[in-house]
Amino acid sequence: MTSSTPRLRPLPLLGLALWVGLLVLVSVWMSRQAYHWLPVQASTAAPLVDGLFSFETGVGTFVFLGVISVMIWVVLMHRAEKYDASDAEPIEGNTKLEVIWTAIPLVLVMGIAVYAIQVNTRLGVLGPMEHIHPGNAVEEVGGYPGDRLPPETVEVIARQWSWEFRYPAAGVSSTELHLAIDQPVTFRLVSDDVIHGFYIPAFRLKQDVVPGTAIDFNLTPTREGRYRLRDSQFSGTWFAANQADVVVEAGDAHAAWLKQAAAQPLQSGISDAVQEYAVRDRKSNPGWATVPPAPPPQVNVPGSNTLPHDA
Amino acid sequence: MTSATFPSSEPKPSWTRYFSFNTDAKVIGIQYIVLSFFYFLIGGLLAMIIRGELITPAADLVDRTVYNGIYTMHGTIMLFLFIFPVLNGLNNLLIPTMIGAPDMAFPRLNAVAFWLVPIFGTLLIASFFVPGGPAYSGWWSYPPVSLQNPLGNLLSGQGLWITAVALSGVSSIMGAVNFVTTIIRMRAPGMTWFRMPVFCWTALAAQSLQLIGLPALTGGAVMLLFDLIAGTSFYRPEGGGDPVLYQHFFWFYSHPAVYVIILPVFGVFSELFPVYARKPLFGYVYVALASFIIVGLGLIVWVHHMFPSGVAQWMRNLFMVTTMLIAVPTGVKVFAWLGTLWRGKLRLTTPMLFCLGGLFNFVFAGITGIMLATVPVDIHVSNTYFVVGHFHYVIYGAAVMGVFAAIYHWFPKFTGRMPYEGLGKVHFLLTFVGANLNFLPMHPAGLMGMPRRVSSYDPEFAFWNVLASLGAFLLGVSIIPFLLNMVSSWVRGPKATHNPWNAIGLEWLLPSPPAEDNFGEHVPTVISRPYGYGLGQPLVENQAAIERELTLQEATP
Amino acid sequence: MTTAIPPTGSITPHGEGGEGHANHSLTGFIIFLCSESVIFLAFFSGYAVLKTSALNWLPAGVEGLEWRMPLINTIVLVSSSGTIWLAETFMARGNLWGFRALWLLTMALGGYFLYGQAVEWSELAFGFTSGTFGGTFYLLTGFHGLHVATGVLLMALMLIKSFLPGNYAKGEQGVQATSLFWHFVDVIWIILFVLIYVWQRH
Repeated sequence: MTSSTPRLRPLPLLGLALWVGLLVLVSVWMSRQAYHWLPVQASTAAPLVDGLFSFETGVGTFVFLGVISVMIWVVLMHRAEKYDASDAEPIEGNTKLEVIWTAIPLVLVMGIAVYAIQVNTRLGVLGPMEHIHPGNAVEEVGGYPGDRLPPETVEVIARQWSWEFRYPAAGVSSTELHLAIDQPVTFRLVSDDVIHGFYIPAFRLKQDVVPGTAIDFNLTPTREGRYRLRDSQFSGTWFAANQADVVVEAGDAHAAWLKQAAAQPLQSGISDAVQEYAVRDRKSNPGWATVPPAPPPQVNVPGSNTLPHDA
Repeated sequence: MTSATFPSSEPKPSWTRYFSFNTDAKVIGIQYIVLSFFYFLIGGLLAMIIRGELITPAADLVDRTVYNGIYTMHGTIMLFLFIFPVLNGLNNLLIPTMIGAPDMAFPRLNAVAFWLVPIFGTLLIASFFVPGGPAYSGWWSYPPVSLQNPLGNLLSGQGLWITAVALSGVSSIMGAVNFVTTIIRMRAPGMTWFRMPVFCWTALAAQSLQLIGLPALTGGAVMLLFDLIAGTSFYRPEGGGDPVLYQHFFWFYSHPAVYVIILPVFGVFSELFPVYARKPLFGYVYVALASFIIVGLGLIVWVHHMFPSGVAQWMRNLFMVTTMLIAVPTGVKVFAWLGTLWRGKLRLTTPMLFCLGGLFNFVFAGITGIMLATVPVDIHVSNTYFVVGHFHYVIYGAAVMGVFAAIYHWFPKFTGRMPYEGLGKVHFLLTFVGANLNFLPMHPAGLMGMPRRVSSYDPEFAFWNVLASLGAFLLGVSIIPFLLNMVSSWVRGPKATHNPWNAIGLEWLLPSPPAEDNFGEHVPTVISRPYGYGLGQPLVENQAAIERELTLQEATP
Repeated sequence: MTTAIPPTGSITPHGEGGEGHANHSLTGFIIFLCSESVIFLAFFSGYAVLKTSALNWLPAGVEGLEWRMPLINTIVLVSSSGTIWLAETFMARGNLWGFRALWLLTMALGGYFLYGQAVEWSELAFGFTSGTFGGTFYLLTGFHGLHVATGVLLMALMLIKSFLPGNYAKGEQGVQATSLFWHFVDVIWIILFVLIYVWQRH
């Protein structure tokens, strides 16, 4: 097997070094740009996720541009002459190169994996198989030491096609999720019918809501504002309209909201599906059969999902 | 490449054989390819409707139920009626001719496998016309939403979907048994494993995955069908069932399925780069073996589609690691192709352009794939348009472009005509620009939090969606030069010689088109490694005599 | 009618075995069986997952599964693997009547198994839709029974073909494939028996 090790002379070597240097600069710049492609950071999870994504963007940019550089170079510089139909040098391989370009990617992806496992652990995102042990005062809860205030619990009921939020401690229900800033909160996710997805892009967190199970899920919001909660696991006809707003507010504002909400009588909450369904028959093309929407949840505070949101 | 005339010593085979139960793999190959492009046009039309709806935030083009049915069928048709059949078509054309076999191991089984395709294809298209419309829960058909059956009929679009997918599985397994047996048992004398072309290696790898993975999907789908029509509760929580169990069955096959799609395309790149760079494939043995490392790893990554489903943390970390590892054998192949191109004598023909464009898109998709493999990022972007962008980059940007490359490259061999180069280049340009314009904007939309499968979206996503829709319409237009080229070249293109690209391979030692039994009794003995460009050695014994005879035949008026 | 060129001296038969397509059938069949085993594996693992995670595994009114009759059925089926092996040895020695007798005996044993399965099914207190217990029970035993029935049909086909004059050489492969299929069905049943009747959850 014929092989050939490229012999690099000083000037091409310098050129290559400069080009690699340029790619590194571009990659670092891209990794900074990556933050702009993501929504505002509104939870403790967001900086961790964004940091990982930014790192991956940087590394990815370098690899992509590196490969593309080679491709562009060969297309420009290694073309056959117009009437040259002869073969090129019969280089069949190079074992040393094979080892290098197996070992380096292996180390690289394992490095990224280790970093990702660390982030995953720090996120403290719990699945249904894991439990918090609230008895241990110094144990970490959602990334915060256990001497913080006990996490608030919110029950989330996902339906076709609405989101209902219940605060058992305060006796309040709403179709607009209110959270206190910097306060760890535990969600208990249940579904009345099919699988839904509890997804708040500004928090970088998502958990499928599976009927027949109750999934505990926690997070800590870190930025005041109004954000979108979107259903992320296809759940039927009005899946796209199954959105709710998340309002993160100061602790005392949150307490005040809960207090005045408890005093409100129950009324129909938000469900865009119900409204669309009501006028469906009058449409010129009513489409195919659909499961009728569940009646809107009866809640203290319907809230709104048409106000401008930060993310 | 030169035009040539053919001896008219035999009656030309009738064109009607393409519409009959014919057992010649070369006929079946063309049947698969042409039929799959028919379905490609239907799936593509559905894509135009999807992008037409999504060019504005509101659900104002079609009713939401119609949109959901359309996006479900778009994915289902493109996978089961386009990409898998077209790749089986390439397998039929290339495997016997590349290894010097007269046909596949089981020719009648081969024909049966093909004819199942229009049967389940008709079932699937018919589902648009049953009361209630087609399946509407995405090509995954996750329960419980796929079991809801609003009209309660026994005959439903979802039921037809499951039946069609099951039949597709039967057809694919028949094909897989055939391809694997043929490759293992029917190679030409002298063609040891490491003298076999990489396309056959990747085909063997891909078909092994079909054999191992498809039964799991079939099993899961059978249980889904019973839940739908027989009142069982395998996946219904109210009956004690587990909807996430279905996801395991589904993805145990459907992840390896993506390697079934991309491995043959890796094979195509590995075959074409040496021809159009006039250089041996760099590290042939490693490229061949990497295919099987991908098979092994490909079977143990499926949970990366289920990170938000409610699986344990240890499972997430484990499958993240296994998924990252696949980058290594894939990287070996990518670097091998670069090594092949380096210091070659490149010729930018249409097939080569499609390979280069496909490689470009594939590397980009690989980067976003690494991002998706890491759990924290995946939690944010799963089920968003980031994923839709990623997989369309792989499937359209890389796989479909690879399929086009293969078609242009082997068109002369199997039709006896040369395709028009100018139209081919136009097709390439429109495809490359269209694909990037269509699928790149999906990534920022997903990062910002736009879910997939939505018939409407918040206004902040409008900009990216407009760009994507424009790209989609461009892709729609791009198919026109391709279809024109195929039809007019086949009917009146310049006649092709046996080896218009001056390539090295057994199939290029056959006339264009080959006889029904290829080499027949006179299979040449292979005496050297494949891709011997620049080495000046013959591939087979008596090669000079074979070439002389072919050239004589072509020159005889 | 070929435009292939006759080079000097390399007229080769198809394939490496030298006997044309016949010896590929067994290869293809073995590959198919390996693939088929995966669907059983899928059903087994689904069954195991549902069984171990169920809060109430047995439906109301069901105490457990009767295992004596299924055990008899198991013995019958395992014996039939023995008789089919004996039948093959007779065939290898050219003793066609011995082969046919034992082959028929195997079919009878297989038929008895199916009969026993039907009797068991008819006496059960739960149906296909009785939760995941009923669903998985009938799915596993039904799918397996389908394979037993297929095996008996294949055997019938081979038996008929054994009466065709001159079929001996070609028929060998069919007998081997059918026998392999039968052993496969037997092994699947043993696993099934352990999973369903031996491992009982209350």
